[in-house]
Formats: sequence, C-alpha cells, structure tokens
Amino acid sequence: MNFEAIIGIEIHVQQKTKSKMFSAAPNGFSRDPNTQIAPLDMAYPGTMPVVNKQAVINAIRVANALHMEIDHTLYFDRKNYFYSDLPKGFQITQQARPIGKNGYVMVAVPGGMKKIRIERIHMEEDTCKQEHFMDYSLLDYNRAGVPLCEIVSMPDIANGTEAREYAEAIRNIVVYSGTSDGKMEEGSMRCDTNVSIRPYGQKAFGTKVEVKNINSFKNVELAIDYEIKRQSQLLLQGKKIQQETRRWDEASGRTVLMRVKTDAVDYKYFCEPNITPIHMSDEFIQKAIETCPELYDSKKERYLKMGLSETDVEVILANPKTAAYFEEGVPFVQNAKNLANFLIVEINSYLNKNGITIQELELSPKTLGEIVTMQEKGGLSHKQCVDILNKVLEEGVSPEEAKKDLKIVAQVSDTDTILKFVKEALDNNPQSIADFKAGNQRVLGFLVGQVMKASHGKVNPAEVSRLLREELEKR
Amino acid sequence: MNYLDLSIRELHEALLAKKVTPLELTEEALKRAHENKDNAFEFIDDEGAIAFAKTLTEPEENNPLWGIPYVAKDNFSTKGIPTTASSDILKGYVPIYDATVIEKLSQAKAILIGKTTLDELAMGGSGTTGHLGKTYNPYDPEHKRQIGGSSCGSAVSVAAGIVPFALGSDTGDSVRKPASYGGLVGFKPTWGRISRYGLFPFAPSLDHVAYFTRDVYSSAVLLDVLAGRDNHDSTSSNRPIECYEEDLDKPVAGWKVAVIKQILDSISNEEIKNHFIHSIECLKEAGITVDFVDFDNKLLESLYATYMVISCAEATSNDANLDGIKFGPFKEGKTYQEVMFNARNEGFSELIKRRFVIGSYCLMSENQEELFLRAQRNRAKIVEKTNAILKDYDFIYVPAAPSVAPSFDSASDRLSDEYLIADNHLALGNFAGLPSITLPLFLENGLPVGINFMGRAFEEKKLFQMANAFEKLSGLKDLSVNNKKEGNL
Repeated sequence: MNFEAIIGIEIHVQQKTKSKMFSAAPNGFSRDPNTQIAPLDMAYPGTMPVVNKQAVINAIRVANALHMEIDHTLYFDRKNYFYSDLPKGFQITQQARPIGKNGYVMVAVPGGMKKIRIERIHMEEDTCKQEHFMDYSLLDYNRAGVPLCEIVSMPDIANGTEAREYAEAIRNIVVYSGTSDGKMEEGSMRCDTNVSIRPYGQKAFGTKVEVKNINSFKNVELAIDYEIKRQSQLLLQGKKIQQETRRWDEASGRTVLMRVKTDAVDYKYFCEPNITPIHMSDEFIQKAIETCPELYDSKKERYLKMGLSETDVEVILANPKTAAYFEEGVPFVQNAKNLANFLIVEINSYLNKNGITIQELELSPKTLGEIVTMQEKGGLSHKQCVDILNKVLEEGVSPEEAKKDLKIVAQVSDTDTILKFVKEALDNNPQSIADFKAGNQRVLGFLVGQVMKASHGKVNPAEVSRLLREELEKR
Repeated sequence: MNYLDLSIRELHEALLAKKVTPLELTEEALKRAHENKDNAFEFIDDEGAIAFAKTLTEPEENNPLWGIPYVAKDNFSTKGIPTTASSDILKGYVPIYDATVIEKLSQAKAILIGKTTLDELAMGGSGTTGHLGKTYNPYDPEHKRQIGGSSCGSAVSVAAGIVPFALGSDTGDSVRKPASYGGLVGFKPTWGRISRYGLFPFAPSLDHVAYFTRDVYSSAVLLDVLAGRDNHDSTSSNRPIECYEEDLDKPVAGWKVAVIKQILDSISNEEIKNHFIHSIECLKEAGITVDFVDFDNKLLESLYATYMVISCAEATSNDANLDGIKFGPFKEGKTYQEVMFNARNEGFSELIKRRFVIGSYCLMSENQEELFLRAQRNRAKIVEKTNAILKDYDFIYVPAAPSVAPSFDSASDRLSDEYLIADNHLALGNFAGLPSITLPLFLENGLPVGINFMGRAFEEKKLFQMANAFEKLSGLKDLSVNNKKEGNL
C-alpha cells in the first residue's frame, strides 16, 4: 500500500533585536548566565511588558515577504501554564489575532515550484534556558523574553525534501530581512514538525505525530523521511499510530518517543490586560515594508543577471555576510563573476583553514577587488593573482607590494609581440612543423614551451597557443 | 493637634517657614506609627526615613511635598525595603526596584516612613485577610470595627494622623471604600493617568494607583506629582498632565450631577439616606443641578459577579510568578510541579486559593464563553451605561457605602441589593476606568460615612473642583481621630 504524507511545520525564529520583546534588557547571545536581564524577564512583581517596536517591524517585514494579510491592530494574549522555564507563569503571545495570516511561500520541487500556504505568523517571547544536572537544575534567564516569531504552515508539505526547502525558504526570509540569524544549529531557528500519513485516496487525516529537537536543515529532511517510513511500516504491520511527541536523535538517525499526548493542555488564553490594543497606521506598516533590507530572492535574481551561475549565487547567499562582502567588492571589479570565483574558492578556503568567519577577515572587499582587477586588466594570470592574494592575506601587505615581492610581472597579451616570439620559435624548429603537419599534436606543447622560455614567461600561454595554431596552419 | 494632623498645604508652609523640619516631622510620624495599635504596618523604615530626612535641609518653595512623610501600601515595589503584599508567599522578599510612584515621590523628596498592611495581595475589602491579621478602625478604640480594605493600613495611617497622605491601590473600591469608613478623601484617577509600574498586580484591567488624604487640595497636588506617561507602563496615558489644584476655588454653579436612584434605594440605613438627601439640597442651593437617574437594576446586581469573574481570572495569572522558584518560600520537591505546589500551597491563604480556583475555572476553555467572556461583555454594557449618564451629567454622585464601618462579626446578606449594589457600586469606576473621589459626608455616632463623585475620563481637574466645593459644604476638611469634627451636612 502506498501512503501520502501530510506535513505541517511550526517554525520559531529568535529575533536579533537590540532589546527583548517586552523589556529593555539587551538581547545578547552567549554571554555569562543571568547577565542580560531586566526585572520583567524574571517576573519581578509589579513589572509590566512594553512592546518592542523593532520586533513588530521585523514581524511585518516577514509577514509581507510571506504574502500575508497584516493586522493593523496589535493584540496580545496570555498563555497560562506552570513550567520551571516560564518566569511569569504565562507567556505573552498573539493567540486570537496574529500579526499576519493567510500567506504562502514558493519552494523548489522537482519539476518546478510549489506553493506552501502559511496559516499565521505571530510574535511572542522566549522562555528561560534550563540546564539539568543529577539532582538540581540551573536556570539562565538571558533567553527569557527574547522576541520570537512563530510561523505556522498549512499541512501542504509532502516529504522531507519539501520540508527542508520550506525551512530554508523561511530561513532566507528571516535572515535577509534582518529579523534573525536563522541558525538551526544554535537554536535561533527551531522547526517543530507535524507528520501524518494516510493511504492515497483516503480523505480523513491520519494520526498526527510531532517531531521536535531538529537541529539542522538536513535533519529536517532526514527526520521527516524517517518518520514517514516509520509510520508506513507500522500501518503495513497493521499497527496503530499513537498521537505522540518524538524527538530527532541525530546520533542514531531516528526519531525517539518523548511523550504520548494525552488531552491537550488548556492554556486558558485571555487578552493581556497590560498591553492595550495598539493601532498601527498604514504609513507605519508601509514604511516597515519599504525599509526592509533586500531579500534573498531579489538578490539572487540580481546576481544571476551579473552573470553568476546558480550554484555560485547559492553559495554566496548562504551567508548574508558573504553576500554583503560580495556586494561591497563588486564596484571594484569589471566582472562580478571573477570576484565571485575568488570569494567562493580562495577566500572560503582561507576562512576554513583558519577557522574564522568572513566578518573576521581583515582583507577588505575593495582590496580583493583590486587583486581581481589585476587579473582582469593588469595582465596577470589567475594563478599569479592567487599568489598575490595569499601573500596579502598572510602578511597584510598591499597587493602591489605583494606583486613586487613575488617578482610577478604582467603577461604580455599584445598579439604583435607574441607573434614575434611565435615566428621565431617556428623558424628555429622546422622539424616540429613537419611533425605537426604529420598529425603529431604534442609538438604544440613543446613549441609553447619554447615561446615561454624565449619570452621569460611574460607572454600569455593561451594566446601563444592560439597564435601558434594559426601560424602552423599558414606554414 | 500636631503638624502631622495638618494638610499638605499647611505643612508645606510650616516647613518653608522652618517652624518644623523634615527630620522632626519624620521622627514624630515614626513615633506615631510605632504607637499605633491598629495593625497598620508591615514594615516601619526608621533607619531609611531618618537618613533621608536628614538630607533635607533647604526647603523647596515650589515643591509642596518636600519633607513630608508618607506611607505606601505594601504592594508597591520599594527597592531595598521588604514588600510582602501581606502574603506569606512574599515573606522575606526585598524588591530590587522602585515603583514609578515611589520614585516620583522620592524625587519630590517626600519621605517614605513605612509599608502598610492590606488584604492579602489586595484581594479583599475588609482589611482582615492579610497575613498579620485584622487591621482595626482607629475611630473605634475597642477594635471591634473594620477600617475596610484592601488598603487598610494606609487608611489607618491617614485617619490616625500618622501621615498626611498614603498610597493605596484600588481595584474594586480598595481606597474609596476605606476612605468612607475612615472619614478620608480617597481618590483614584482615570485608568492610565498614574503609572502602575511597580504596583503588584491584582487585576490589571481594573487596578489603579490611588491614595488617601484628609483634604481635596492635598489630593489634587499629589496628582500633579504622580500623574503622567511612564515608559515602563505602556497603558499609561500620553495626555499632558495639568495643574490639578489651580481651579479648586472656581465656581461650580451650573454643573449637572446625576444620582443613581437604584443605588440610593438599595440602602436601608435611613440616617445615611437623610444626610445624603440633605446634601443634595445643599448642592442645589450652591447652583448645581441634581437629577435622579435610572440604572438597570439587573446590571447593578451583576456588578459583584462580573467583578469577581474578571478580577479572579486576571489574578490567577498575575500571581503565577509566585511559584517558589524565583519568589516565595522554596520547598523541596521531587519535580518542579511539587516544588511549585508546596510553595503555593503554604504561601497562599485559603481565601486566595479560592479566588485562584474561581479564576481558573472561569478561564477554562469549556467555561470561558459562559463565564469570562460573558463577564467581559457585561462589563462593556455597564461601562456603556455609565458613560451614557456622564454624557448628560458632569458627575455621578452617590453614597460611598451603605453603612458606617462594619464590625468584624457583622454578616451581610450577599444576595441582598444592599450588598450587591450599595456595597459594590464603586466598582463602576474601575470597570470604566473613570476618576472617582470619596469624601466624608457626616459622622454617625462618631463614625464617618462618605459620599462619592465620579467624573468623565481625564476630567480629574474638574472632579477636584467639585470635591473642593463639597468639602466646603460639609466642613469636614482635615478630619482625623485627632481632629474630630461635626460636619454641616
């Protein structure tokens, strides 16, 4: 029997605003525990929430990028439950009136694009972080109150690949709108997936299983595909699927039971009385949208027009900092593609080798541009420019100094000069001409070598090769 | 009589003239606080108050609160000063920040001398449910009568002449009712006029910072200092503040006042009714139009139930932070649930637990529509009716309570109109968030009874003007146990 999988994804993204969702505490990552906190974050009696404007602007931008209807009035609700990581005993969220609803995103699937509908996007606050030990637990409130956007898809996703594509599409939007780092590995983006299957043709949905704790985009795909397989086998064995929450166990490549879902928790939602409804003017919303940094898709289109290949574009856009570096360098080169090559190959390998990020790279995009220009206009070969780049990177000298130190001289590409060397070489080696005419192509390499030797390597070998062929034909 | 029995204006003049110093005033206030036997204090800050008073040497002419001692209800966050909200769950809790109003008063150089008792977590109206037990009415030396609550200790502090003003909070009538029982001026402004940042929440949609004084001028001057936008409280209003005392003595003739007939009818005490009706005649003589207006009796009878549903629902959520992990006594447990359960079980009294159960029940998804949301809709109806009256009238004028301060053993019939309406109508001002002021009307056998004026949103200035005119009619300015008077009404 064949099964159809029905998958919905809830994505939480941590916003990288300066301060928290409802307090003025700094929103910082990986500092000492319990240092990034205001009284509200620990729920000191009498503290009150004040909505972070930038978090609202970010949510509007993401909602817009996801083609959503944006609510012009902000409402917040309390979600009430007791848990040790929940300081106030309730979470402030947007249950009844999310800031955005009814949107979609297009994702690549084999043979084209697929529309994944999105039910809602709402703002809420993160909980504090717990660390459990043998007989005690520690609480770090730095994370408490960090602004979150929750994006809830419709169950339009059919398999692991689509799920990964969807998650990446959302990541691209939240990252390029400046909303979030979107790093699943670090938890600034979290995907909770709901997976159910049913025989093709069956109308009723199967039992839904939630899969959590997925820590990379690749694992979104793996976890879902594993879960589909697991559920299919259960059904084929005539067993029942129980409503449960499972977690992805990366080490074993399996999903593991966390808890069986009993009746849904009653969160006793009600309107947050300490935040009166906030009306947002058309101008405010419009401005938030207009000032949104350029998004992934638009950049991609632009880079393709610059002549970059699809793969190159994806590599550069995989990290917005790389993209920013690239864009800063473009004005200094003739052809953006040459810059992209250096960035993708040489710079990336340098970063990897030294274990640093592009933000830590001391080489400015302008300087890289100068080196690329040496290849484009200065008559140096790619290899020569790579040598210069490496020296600049290692020693911090200027490209010109590096060139001088390495005793690199420009290649001659001037046809007349090269032709002179070519003719000389042919004149000195009549046997080679005869061999070539007899069909021995290998003599071409020998002749190029002769030219290079005579010219002390100053001429462009490609040009030499071309002119040699021309001359040989003539003789 | 002593300086502490004077109003803020007279005290200010005495301080300016250096007839008395802030230190002398503070020492006297502390002495009176310690001598008081009415169970008014959670904490008396001798050290802090004296230290602050000593720094105040040069009187500030344009600062009417300079060097004046006051007390605050123990549900205002006070940095470094224990704050319990009269609940065991907060025993030993020392806040790390000042409530906005505390900070404002500190900047105005008023001197906080202590924190006062309340009904536990401000939930109650009798002044009997705090963890230190009953708070007594200073007008009854035999300690048989309530001062009312929940701001009981603050009411005592002003009525007993310990301080000239005291901060309280008012969610249903928690300042304006005890003001009636204590012969005081009890005022709450429009919701949003005074920042609530640092006031421990009971039911935020109904909570107001409110306060007691012994005269209208002091009440108006205090609002000058306490009102205003606060970036820590996003519900605080951006409206500019006014000079609330500047029109106090201007004429009030021509204004229109509505008396809600059903409220008056629900009172059985004939003496109160007679004095109230007499006061209406006096207002009319002063050129004020007074009309009896109708308010749907069913709607009035629903006040108490509506209030209970909304306030308990909000309260159960507000106090969920008191879980024994961050706040409250840490009790061992095998799971986090056990830790929380043990702390909350021991920390809260039965009455509080009862309110939480009611609140949770009303919010449960299967009950929300029938209880919580229905109460919200009913609240909207009540607000609509109240505002409709205030469209035609400048004020609503009613007795603040149906009786003098009740004795501790008196039982009220909680289904009677006298209880449901006359004892609960002040909540109208909380439902609608309207400015409301209680003033003494007369004394029945030496026990005060108050009336209440409620005005339109943000028309505090006008309300004070009306109250000031009334104070002149009643002749009960500066009433306290040390300064007993016969009024004119």
